[in-house]
Amino acid sequence: MIFGLLVLHIAVCVLLAGAGRRLGRGSLLVGAVPPAFSALWGAARLGAGPPATADLAWVRGLDLAMTFRVDAFATVMTLIVSGIGVLIFVYAFGYFGPDAAHTGRFATTLLAFSTSMLGLVWADSVWTLFVFWELTSVTSFLLVGHKSTDTEVLVAARRALMVTAGGGLVLLAGLLLVTGAAGTTLISELTPVDGAAATAGAVLVMIAAATKSAQVPFHSWLPGAMVAPTPVSAYLHAATMVKAGVVLVAVAGPALSGIAAWKGCGIAFGVVSIVWGALGALRHRDAKLILAWGTVSQLGLLITLFSVGTPAAVLAAVSLLVAHALFKGSLFLIVGEIDVRAGTRHIDELGGLARSMPVAFTAALLAGLSMAGAPPLLGFVAKETAINAALELDGLEAWVVGFGVIGGSVLTVAYTFRFLAAVFGPGPETPLSTRRRALSVPPAVLAVAGIAAFAVLGPVDAVLEPAAVRLSGGAAVGHLHRWPGLEPALVISAVVLVVGAIVGLAMGRRPGQAPADHAARWTDASIDGIVTFGREACARVQHGSLPVYLVTMAAVTALAATPFLAHVSSDHLVAWDTPLQGVLAATVVGAAIALSFVGTRLAAGLALGAAGIAVAAVFVLHGAADLALTQLLVEAAIVVGFVLAFGHLSRSFPMTGLRWRAVRMTVAGLGGAAVVIGLAAASGDPVAAPPLAEMATASVDEGGGSNIVNVILTDIRGLDTLGEVLVLATVALGVQALARASASTRGSAP
Amino acid sequence: MIDGSAPMIRLGIRAAGPFATIVGCYLLFAGHNNPGGGFAAGLVFGAVLALRTIAGFHRPTYGITLVAAGVFVVAGVALMPLLWGDPLFDQQVLSVEAPLLGKIKTGSALPFDLGVAAIVVGTVIAALDGLGAAEFAADPPANSGGGANSDRGASSDRGERE
Repeated sequence: MIFGLLVLHIAVCVLLAGAGRRLGRGSLLVGAVPPAFSALWGAARLGAGPPATADLAWVRGLDLAMTFRVDAFATVMTLIVSGIGVLIFVYAFGYFGPDAAHTGRFATTLLAFSTSMLGLVWADSVWTLFVFWELTSVTSFLLVGHKSTDTEVLVAARRALMVTAGGGLVLLAGLLLVTGAAGTTLISELTPVDGAAATAGAVLVMIAAATKSAQVPFHSWLPGAMVAPTPVSAYLHAATMVKAGVVLVAVAGPALSGIAAWKGCGIAFGVVSIVWGALGALRHRDAKLILAWGTVSQLGLLITLFSVGTPAAVLAAVSLLVAHALFKGSLFLIVGEIDVRAGTRHIDELGGLARSMPVAFTAALLAGLSMAGAPPLLGFVAKETAINAALELDGLEAWVVGFGVIGGSVLTVAYTFRFLAAVFGPGPETPLSTRRRALSVPPAVLAVAGIAAFAVLGPVDAVLEPAAVRLSGGAAVGHLHRWPGLEPALVISAVVLVVGAIVGLAMGRRPGQAPADHAARWTDASIDGIVTFGREACARVQHGSLPVYLVTMAAVTALAATPFLAHVSSDHLVAWDTPLQGVLAATVVGAAIALSFVGTRLAAGLALGAAGIAVAAVFVLHGAADLALTQLLVEAAIVVGFVLAFGHLSRSFPMTGLRWRAVRMTVAGLGGAAVVIGLAAASGDPVAAPPLAEMATASVDEGGGSNIVNVILTDIRGLDTLGEVLVLATVALGVQALARASASTRGSAP
Repeated sequence: MIDGSAPMIRLGIRAAGPFATIVGCYLLFAGHNNPGGGFAAGLVFGAVLALRTIAGFHRPTYGITLVAAGVFVVAGVALMPLLWGDPLFDQQVLSVEAPLLGKIKTGSALPFDLGVAAIVVGTVIAALDGLGAAEFAADPPANSGGGANSDRGASSDRGERE
């Protein structure tokens, strides 16, 4: 079933890529079909017993397999990813007008993202997870950059890609260390690990999670990504993709929570992000940016709770994860609707929307109160559980986490009320375009889901509790309570609500300036710095002087042979097998010496040919027919090359000065000496008998051929041959590129 | 360059081409049991094309395409066995009884050699192109026929030949 669903997603994706242009806006509705099936499957599996698994051996020789395992937590995530996905597709149908451009491309990329995200939450092998993790980064980049004609959009998309894909590389390193320490690559089989390598790996994994989940100081890409179309912001940057880091921390938690550095890092990222994100949400004046900064803060809370890792904290985090997907998705969609209908989302330009958009206002009120943690909504239950979890801790941890959770809650309530007052508050009425049903239904559904989940908390708890049990390594996590009774947590909650509401409403319509986004500027500056550094380093190393390249290569080869000097012994060296070899060697040496003295290119070509043919004759004397044949053919091909090249070159060499000649002869002599030393050392100091007999049998038995040389080339040492022909292919590309470059410079000259 | 002034060389190149191609094919298929192989065969094919180019019969432009195709084949032969759990480069030997020809034995070394040959030929062609082979095809001789030449290129040196 798992593969069936993935194949369905991919097939529809391919279909949309092909037919999207013809389907236009309708492709968004086609794209909603696969997520609908996944959501139905997920709903049918809710509360069901054993996890569904699937695995596909991919590259058996390397033990690579695609391994999926849909347990209780993954089922909840499936519902979030696919359920909200369907709503987003429907919403996008309304968001893009009938004559919007590139909707087919948008639908294809959005579905590709949805597929990657499903793969990510279903993955059991860490490598499967990694592949889908990177795919979400790439599809997110494409979706953020959807309006690709706008420079600001492109800069934001690049920043999002560089931060999240860079985090992907960190993740790769972290996973290598962690799986090495744990001895398994399956997430479900990870056991608690410790040791230096595991600690380093855990910290790297946490950093990767922080980049993906937009934690300070990697957060700047998330507000930047708000240039994306609103369906993307709601889906990727509120409900799903930014949760990937949280999901990673959650599933790795049972194995890594014993490592102090993991916990410390996670809590540090989380608490700083809670506060900084909430402050950002209080200061910005673009409704969408307010929500984006709020997301940074909420993600910080999720990371904090999962890093703490106590059963109560995990239960709180899971319920907050679901509640956040519902209320933040809803709020984003409402802002998108306002953006479409009012033509602006700047809070100073909005007014009277509570009366003119009653449905949106009601939905925003429900979603906002859930975000603030007010009853009777799912957000309230989640926040109560979180406060309780924080109160259970002790020591320094209790103070830091308590500060994060409670202080963060006050700020959250404040920015929620500021948002509601600023967007829907009274003021000169903003003119609106006509209502589109596809725009107003999805956010309403999400908002109502928040209150419905509170109303039927029993079944909801029956779904979320097993998920939390899975993430706390099997420990009992307790249950969610609709009304906890008059406890400290409830008192704290009430105080938080009152204080936050007063602050928020007071700030609601206060005029002011949006803060400058320094973090984004620094991020862009460092990306530019890396690019500039790369360009300059390349210009230094690749200066373009052919003689210097050649001399460098020859000199390095000569130096590489020095270690062999110690192994040279004269015991096995003989002058020659037949005197004819001596004659041929003299020819080669003579040709080489002549070569360095002649002044014209034609003579140099002749001398080179003489040396080559003499070498071929040496091969013949040794009975190496294949080598001789190849050598002769190469000589023949080179002759043609000379014929062609001589047409373009002067008759004589340009640099024939004595000093330059001396340099060349020294380097050539060193290179030759290096080869001689290497060969003499190899023959003088054998470590084993030559494997001739083995090669001969292996060649006939396994390679199925009786020409040992060629069986060695194509089979026994096939990998070497592969490398060599790839070098050849690279040379061909290089030659072609150089020719093109010089042709274009010639062409541009008058 | 050669075409106007040396009819004998042009004739020789034309006449030798098919024979050299046959020799190349022989080297390609014989390589498994006798001297030869993909590299040698590629060099022979490459030399044929190079000679035809300087004689003005031919204007090869598909060097990089050949190289790319060769890389795909070679990498495919190398990596495919991994898919069914065999080690890298596992040799599949195939033996067929064909009518008239008797027993034919071949294996995955053959496509590998073909790929190597394609890369070698492609490299030779790319090098020719890079060295300025275009000018040789400038003026297709009237009797060349076969459509093997191209009418592209500068016609500046047409005058000095005629």
